[in-house]
Parts: sequence; structure tokens; C-alpha cells
Amino acid sequence: MDLTPEKLRLIPMVALIVIGCFGLLNSKTMLRSLLSLDVIDTATISIFVLIAASAGSQTPIVTASRYSSYSDPYPQAIILTAIVIGFATQALLCAIALRLGRRSPMLRYRDLEK
Amino acid sequence: MIDHQILFPFLIFLPALLGFVGCVIPKITFPLSVVMLLGYAASSFNYIGRDIAYHFTLVGEGGIQFSVDSYSFPLIFGSCITLLIVFGLFFKKFSHYYYQICLVLLSALLISFTTVDLVSMFISLELLGFSAFLLIADRNDRKSLFNSFQYLIGGGLAMLIYLIGVVQAFTFTGSFLLEDLVKAPETALCLIVAGLLTKSGVFLCGLWVPNIYSHANSQSSSVLAGCVTCAGIAPIARMSQILNPISDSMIVIGVISAVIAAIYAVFERDSGRALGWSSVSQLGIAILSPTYACSYAMQHGICKALLFSTLYSGKADENLDSSAITSSHNMPSRPSATNEFLRVIVFVVASLSIMGFPFLAGFITKNWIKYDIPYEAKIIYTTAALLTSTVYARLIFDRIKDFASQPYARLVLNLDRASKNLSDLFSSSQNYILILSVVGLILASTAAPDLFTFSAVQSAIVSAILGGILFVSVVGIQADEFVKPVTRTLDLVGAPFLVAALLLANLIYLKI
Repeated sequence: MDLTPEKLRLIPMVALIVIGCFGLLNSKTMLRSLLSLDVIDTATISIFVLIAASAGSQTPIVTASRYSSYSDPYPQAIILTAIVIGFATQALLCAIALRLGRRSPMLRYRDLEK
Repeated sequence: MIDHQILFPFLIFLPALLGFVGCVIPKITFPLSVVMLLGYAASSFNYIGRDIAYHFTLVGEGGIQFSVDSYSFPLIFGSCITLLIVFGLFFKKFSHYYYQICLVLLSALLISFTTVDLVSMFISLELLGFSAFLLIADRNDRKSLFNSFQYLIGGGLAMLIYLIGVVQAFTFTGSFLLEDLVKAPETALCLIVAGLLTKSGVFLCGLWVPNIYSHANSQSSSVLAGCVTCAGIAPIARMSQILNPISDSMIVIGVISAVIAAIYAVFERDSGRALGWSSVSQLGIAILSPTYACSYAMQHGICKALLFSTLYSGKADENLDSSAITSSHNMPSRPSATNEFLRVIVFVVASLSIMGFPFLAGFITKNWIKYDIPYEAKIIYTTAALLTSTVYARLIFDRIKDFASQPYARLVLNLDRASKNLSDLFSSSQNYILILSVVGLILASTAAPDLFTFSAVQSAIVSAILGGILFVSVVGIQADEFVKPVTRTLDLVGAPFLVAALLLANLIYLKI
């Protein structure tokens, strides 16, 4: 397996996923796991965008002057849905955190899991 | 004759449309949605077992592909029947926007049963997760809110793992189609399957199941057990049909899930949690065979919906819901003894069906699976069936004991009141639904008469009796807190990683 520039670009994103998973598995409060989930979400979306850009980094819009190397529009179009879904997940989780925070403001798992 | 290119997409999105319209005009939409569910159930029932497949593509060439085939019809039928049972039994107790959420859920389910596209699968599973989240949180106390939080964060992580698998498969195959996964690398397959297994609640990934089923409302548990966990079954069955390594791994995972979850269920004291563990075990059995997975999941879903609906007596159920409200002082009229007796009978019949007792629907599906799996898995499968019998022997025993301890229990068998009992039986519409479902479970066993060989019937009855004997022998060691409930968020969240790693090890090194 050789390391092409396309693969090298993915390394920070994989590191971000690992950081997010570490945070999710080690978080003691609800808010932290919520933020960790968002980190993983962002990393996944970035991976999609980077893979779409492996063919070229120009905007895939057809105009009078055609670009020579435009990026693959298919994954980019699909990841839009994932972005919206990630946002919705965060909103729902925040709503739950608000409700639970009335009783136990620290939102610690130790208090909530009883 | 309308072109099925237009008809099927319309049918898939009709429930969601009705759900959103129902938020505005709820009174009119409810009967419409019941009619729609009946229509779906009837038309899909027509196609079960027939080898018919319709393919269609949304938005023209290169669009999203759907395939309505033999995997979809049983699951569509099962979900519709589950929703009908829930709508019929619990209509009076529905909270605001409850049935609208169920309709949106049905739309997500229909997409996940029919799509052959990985990204549509992702979207439908996320929509399903949101709807299930709202159903879990419907009880609206602190514990159920926390449960739904755990479900959403675990499900969200599982879907992100799935998405990473999808993008890796995309770099190798250049498409998002399920059938192109043949060319995908092993790591991508592992990540995808781990995400799907979490959604369908098979063991290790399915640790969330018992917590949530035992605490949610009866109606929410019925919907969750009957429909939501089926969503992952169809794609897994499709994948293991075309990919040999996956189908081999599924047998390993399914067997492990079936046995270990059944052992947990045997040692569990709380009936709701025991049903949850048994659900995990049954879905483990379902993924053993790609051909019959959908039929098995359908039968299991319907029976589980009936079980959760009748697990508590009608009175206890009302108390459970209105514990905070002051209505417990002016209790409505005492529940009629006949209704309670009917609920017990339905509970027993549904339990026997899951045990695989002859002349019930479960017998047919259990035998289909039994003749379809490889020989090596068969002995462990039999063990799992025996453990299941033990679990349900205990559940039936507990339920009947609970019923017999009530003051009104004696009235039922009193011959002087026989005529009044009979008239009670046909007094409420809920009883009609319960009676119809029992008759349906019995009639379903006539679908495959060639399975009723002497040895099959004999082994089913023997396993039921052995289950009873085993129950008597383990009842002594069922100490309090023998099985600690898994409630820590860490365990629930970490499970998909573990399963993905195990799968990867299996696919690359062990090759079981």
C-alpha cells in the first residue's frame, strides 16, 4: 500500500475520529459525549468531501468555460443530507439535555444512571 | 393500470404524508390511516411467498433504486399488523401526536425494507431512529428521557460508523448500490454490518433493547419490538444473500446472540426485561438464514407486539401511565374479569407461538429456519430454542399467577356467569382485535402443511415440556440482582466498535 497524497490528506480526519471516539467513551457528562459525537460527525463529513475532491478540487458547476479537473459531485450531494441529519441529532440531544438538566444540572452520568 | 414507477413511490411516502396532515386535522386522518394500514397489510399479504419483484428508480436514470421483492413483503405485512394492533388496543391512551409519529415511522420502515441503496438506507435508518426516540420519550419521565438519550447517541454513533463504511466502499466501487458491495474491502463491510446490527438490536450491539423495552409505555414497546428492530433485518438478509463472508459471519453472530441473550433472559427477574432479552435472542435466530429471515422477523414482531400489549393487566397499565396524575383516586370501573382472562389467553398463545409450539405461526417459521441453516449451527440453534422455551414457561407462569391472585379471577370460571362473561367478551372493540389476532396466529400455521411431520411436532412438544422442567430447576437460583442491568452509557456506546473489530478479525484472520 503506497501513500498517495489523497490518502495522506485523510490522516487528520481519521485522527479526528479517534479523538471523538476517545471522548465519547471517556466522557463523564452528557454534554461532553454530545460534543464528541459532533466531532465524529464533522470528521465523517470531511472524509466524504475529501474523497469527492480526489478527482480535482474545482467546483462541479457547468458554465461556459469548462473546468479541467472538477470534483465528484455525487458524494458532495449526498453528504448534504448527512449534515442536516447530524444537525437534527444535535438539536434533539440538546433538547433532552435541557429537560434532564432541570433535575441534575451537572448532567453527570453518575447521577443520571441510577 | 397505473405504472408501478409512480405507484410504489407514492405508496411509500403516503404514510408520512398522512402523518403530517394528521398533525393539522387529527380526527379525520386517524380512520384514513387505519384504512391505509389495512390496505397495505392485505395487499402485501397477497404477495408473501410469491417470487415477485418490482424494481423502480426515483428521479430517472441514475437515481435512487428501490426493489420491492420477497424480502419486503413479509416485513411490510408484519409492521402494518403491529401498528394496527397498537392503534386498536391503545387508541384511548395515545398522547398528542402519537399516531402521527407512528405513521412517519412506517414510511421510514417502508424505505428501509425496499431500498437497495446504501445512502437511502442511512437516511431511512436515521428517520427511524428519530421516530423511535420520540416513542421512547413518550412516557416523559426522567428515566425514559435518559433512555432515549442513550438510544439516540448510540444509534447516531452506529450510523456514523455505517457512513464511514459506506464512504470506504464508495472509494473502491464507485457506487452506493448494495449489490456492488461484492467489490468492497472487508473493513467497509464490517463497519456497515456493525451499524445495521446496532439498529436491529442483535446481541452486543443490542444492549439497549432490554432497558428501553422494560421502561417505555406498553404501546411504545410494542411498536419498537414489532417494527423498529425489523428495519435492520432486510438489508442484512440482502447482504448475506450476495456476500458469502457476511452470511458466514452472520451465522456466528446469530448463534452467539441467540444463546447468550436467552441465558440472560432466563436469569432475569423482571418480565419486561426478560422479553427484551428474548427479543435480542430471537433476532439473532432470524439473521441465521437470509431466505427466511424476513418471515421469522415478521412472526416474531407480531407476537412480541401482542406480548407487550398484554404483559400487564389493563388496570395496572392505566396505573403505570397515570402514576403522576391524580386520576388514581377515582378509578374507572373495575376491569371486567373476562377482558383480563382474554388478555391472559392472548399472552399465553403468543408466548407459545414464539416457543414454536405446533399449530401456531411460530412453528412454521422456526422449522423453515431449522431446515435452512448449516448442520454445525443446528445443535446450538436447538439449545437456543430450549432456552427460549424456558423463558416463556416462566413468563406464562408469572402471568397466570398474577392473574389468579386477583380477586376477580374466580368469576371467570364460574358457570353461572357464563352468559354474562360471553356478553362481556363481545362488548368492546379491543376484544375483537385480540380474538382476531389469536385466530390469525392459529390460521397462519396452515400455510405450510407439509411441515407437520411427526418428528417435528414431537420435537416441538418435547422442547416445550423440557423448557417447563428446566424452568422449575432454575427457579431456585434466580436470586435478586443475578443479572445486573447494563445501563452504563459507555457499554451501550462502545458495543458497535467491539462488534466491528470482531467481524474484521473474523473476515480477515479466522474465516469461520
